[in-house]
Amino acid sequence: MKKHLLKILALSLVGTLAFAATGPDTYVQMTYGEVDSLDPAQAYDTASGAVLENIYETLYTYKGESITEYEPVLATSYKISDDGKTYTYKLRHDVLFHSGNRMTCRDVEYSIKRLLVTNPGDSAGWFFAESLIGYDGVNAKDYFGDKITQADKDKYWAAIDNSVKCLDDYTVQFHLIKKDPSFFVKMMYTAGSVLDSKYAIANGEWSGTKKDWFSWAGKDLRSGFLHNHDAGTGAYQLVKWDGKDVYAKRFIGYWDFAHKAQMENIIIKVVDEQATRIQALKAGDADRITVNDRATLETQIRGMANAKVLESDKWLGAGARAVFFNQKIAAKDNKLIGSGKLDGKGIPADFFKDVNVRKAFAYSFNQDAIIKDLYLGKAVPLTMALPPSFLGYDPNIPIYNLDPDKAEAFFKKAYGGKLWDTGFSMTIVYNTGNTIRKAVAEILKENIEALNPKFKISVKAMPWPQFLAAYKNGQLPALVLGWGADYADPDNFIYVFYHSNGYYAKKIGYSNPQMDKLIEEARSITDPKKRAALYSKIGYLAHDDVPVLPLPRPTGWMVLAKNVYTKGAPAGMDVYNNPMRSGSFLWKDIIKK
Amino acid sequence: MTTFIVRRLLQLPVVLLAISLVIFGMMQFLSPTERAATYAKSEQQAQHLDAIIRQYNLDKGFLVQYGTWLKQVLHGNLGFSKQSHEPVLTTIRKRLPVSAELALYLFFPTLAFGIWMGTMAAIHRDKLIDQIVRVFAIIGWSLPTYVMAIWLLAVLFGQLHCCGIGRVDDAIAVQIAEGKLKTYTGMITLDGILNGRWDVTLSGLKHLVMPVITYTFVASAQIMRVLRSSMLDVLNSDYVRTARAKGLPESVVNIKHARRNAIIPIITIAGLMFAFLLEGSFFIEIIFNFHGLGQWSVPAAVQLDFPAVIGIALLVGFSVSVANLIVDILYGIVDPRISFQ
Repeated sequence: MKKHLLKILALSLVGTLAFAATGPDTYVQMTYGEVDSLDPAQAYDTASGAVLENIYETLYTYKGESITEYEPVLATSYKISDDGKTYTYKLRHDVLFHSGNRMTCRDVEYSIKRLLVTNPGDSAGWFFAESLIGYDGVNAKDYFGDKITQADKDKYWAAIDNSVKCLDDYTVQFHLIKKDPSFFVKMMYTAGSVLDSKYAIANGEWSGTKKDWFSWAGKDLRSGFLHNHDAGTGAYQLVKWDGKDVYAKRFIGYWDFAHKAQMENIIIKVVDEQATRIQALKAGDADRITVNDRATLETQIRGMANAKVLESDKWLGAGARAVFFNQKIAAKDNKLIGSGKLDGKGIPADFFKDVNVRKAFAYSFNQDAIIKDLYLGKAVPLTMALPPSFLGYDPNIPIYNLDPDKAEAFFKKAYGGKLWDTGFSMTIVYNTGNTIRKAVAEILKENIEALNPKFKISVKAMPWPQFLAAYKNGQLPALVLGWGADYADPDNFIYVFYHSNGYYAKKIGYSNPQMDKLIEEARSITDPKKRAALYSKIGYLAHDDVPVLPLPRPTGWMVLAKNVYTKGAPAGMDVYNNPMRSGSFLWKDIIKK
Repeated sequence: MTTFIVRRLLQLPVVLLAISLVIFGMMQFLSPTERAATYAKSEQQAQHLDAIIRQYNLDKGFLVQYGTWLKQVLHGNLGFSKQSHEPVLTTIRKRLPVSAELALYLFFPTLAFGIWMGTMAAIHRDKLIDQIVRVFAIIGWSLPTYVMAIWLLAVLFGQLHCCGIGRVDDAIAVQIAEGKLKTYTGMITLDGILNGRWDVTLSGLKHLVMPVITYTFVASAQIMRVLRSSMLDVLNSDYVRTARAKGLPESVVNIKHARRNAIIPIITIAGLMFAFLLEGSFFIEIIFNFHGLGQWSVPAAVQLDFPAVIGIALLVGFSVSVANLIVDILYGIVDPRISFQ
């Protein structure tokens, strides 16, 4: 009897060993990026965004692949006041949350106020707060610190309370502290998602009133209910997020009946090992996988029988990366700048203040080598620190590329000719595992040291925590920094990179009043043509001033199972890819043929 | 024996307290910014780093931080892991059954195979079977786990389309996520039986095939080598010769007299092996995509996810202490000459 049972068990096991591919109504994506939080007010990363944009919805969103055309989602129309400070949205009447509650203006009001109240330091709340309440974009506790008074609290709350108002059940109005042409697109970020206020409050989230607002200021929302529960209106509802994998199901009460999703189940699996993801795709166990690098794409994926590699020269993503020249290096206990003097054994703290040094470095950098070696020829140089698909990007601005003669000429002009005679010594640091930072450092070292034997550049790897500390303390002389778009407006990049108060420009001590004036003007007008002309001017000025050296942008790719398509794909493509969507496309548009 | 067990269990809190103090002490060598690195994975996320440092009290002194931590531990809270995106205790509760199930299925085949190979090699010393077992052991011993795992993955999963990665098939994973399957132990194969769902158990077993083959091949070599040499010593001893002279059958001499006495070093190795398996086998969990403790603990340590690091260290301390206790008890059972005094 025992033997028979064992035989049956063994045969059943052998039977189940035969593999079944993903079902026709189930979409399985394998990636390495882990969701950080499913609370829209906390999440500020791509992996979380890729889930949130499907289970929550905003008032408006990007249309297809475009980042300049928009379509209404939870709103039906909007109006901007003549002074550009009041935005009024009319809302849909027929929207149900996943709980079954009906959406009204109170939910929109609650969602945005909650974002402004909590606004944790590592969230996207800052750019909503900048437009709606000011206070440097930070929450009340961080803005006032321990010395906060009741008057401060009252004033801060009043600012939040006045920023968003319901005119009736289906009309919401936002009051900005000053004109901000990017506010409309800021509202499309997942942090602007509309939450089911009744459901959230009933489950212990902020009450929505003045009574307990301050206790929620700056709170880490990862300990809250919405961190791993869904209170959205999206075409999919969250079944479970186990800290790694995400399971979602089509929402039968979705308001957009005309846009019925084909996939019943969505599974986003975190598979850390790339080899495992590749084998899963090969075995038919995955519909889409993340492939980290082009070399793997070319050698292991292309030509795989049941997979396809989709790519386009237009898929440049919504990010920019540049080499930053630090004009105010922190000199205290900083071994990276040697002696800290211009004596051939180090560099002074303001070494990069001299524009000739910056230009000499820029002409020592080989953009072609990066494109050819790192991106296997699939990348385009950037003329300015702005994604090419964004308003105002000017492709006609000249690009710095390797030119040893010009580099030598600028080095000879620097510091009145003194630098060429004395030489210098410095260390460029990259964080361990960051291939781009490493390649940039090595290219600069090779080309600059070849110009003059008195020029010495060391390249050093640091673990991320130490690199971050050195970055925060301003100790890094030259470094590569990147920025991913929060919203599709050029100001999100230009201000950060080039304005003296911008996050990165301030960090490296770059300040040019003429540049500041142009940026201020561009962020205060709404006419796209005028803004584009101003950003072009900014691009030319940035080329002359070279505070940062924009790096080439690699073209993107997608690896999918052969039978996966999306609705709304442009002619000749199987899927659409919107750079402002964390997941490139929405789950509701997936089709399996 | 009861006194011995009680005494050893009473030492446990002291060991755990010492571990927590050592780790806290080590963390003080890092600056608040370095410790905040886990909350900011890019420069873009680091723009409000000071607020992050304040929020998590990273700028407070050693005593304040340790006191706060100890207080929350006494309230049953080990803190929040940024790596797992949830409280440390919740993560341990979720991941321990995954690693424990894996440990059970990896441990016993490895142990049985290693003991069998070691016995065969010792009994047939210098004969063909001994040579084959020794070559097999050298290959297993020298082959890195991840190489074996990736090779199996490519052949069994990628080429032959069998077995599967993760713990269970997607269709069943969806049912588990939807709560259609009651979780009793968190171990797929056992919960399948307890729910009366043989398909779940079989799916779980199917997904364990590659990890079991990998680990058995790689880890049984150590058991085999130790048992072989230990058994050779015993086989040359006087009492074994006496047993043979008394005319006992060879199988009884080998198994009952020789192997039983040669097994003590294997108990030591096996105890530690099981304790380490319980902490999670990193390469196996990563490559075959098991969301166990190993897959969480290594990246958590790299990312300086402090609450996770200390939570894992306490778990390791606990499991190693308990494993040592069990090993000591087994010594006494196997060899009556060992006393518990």
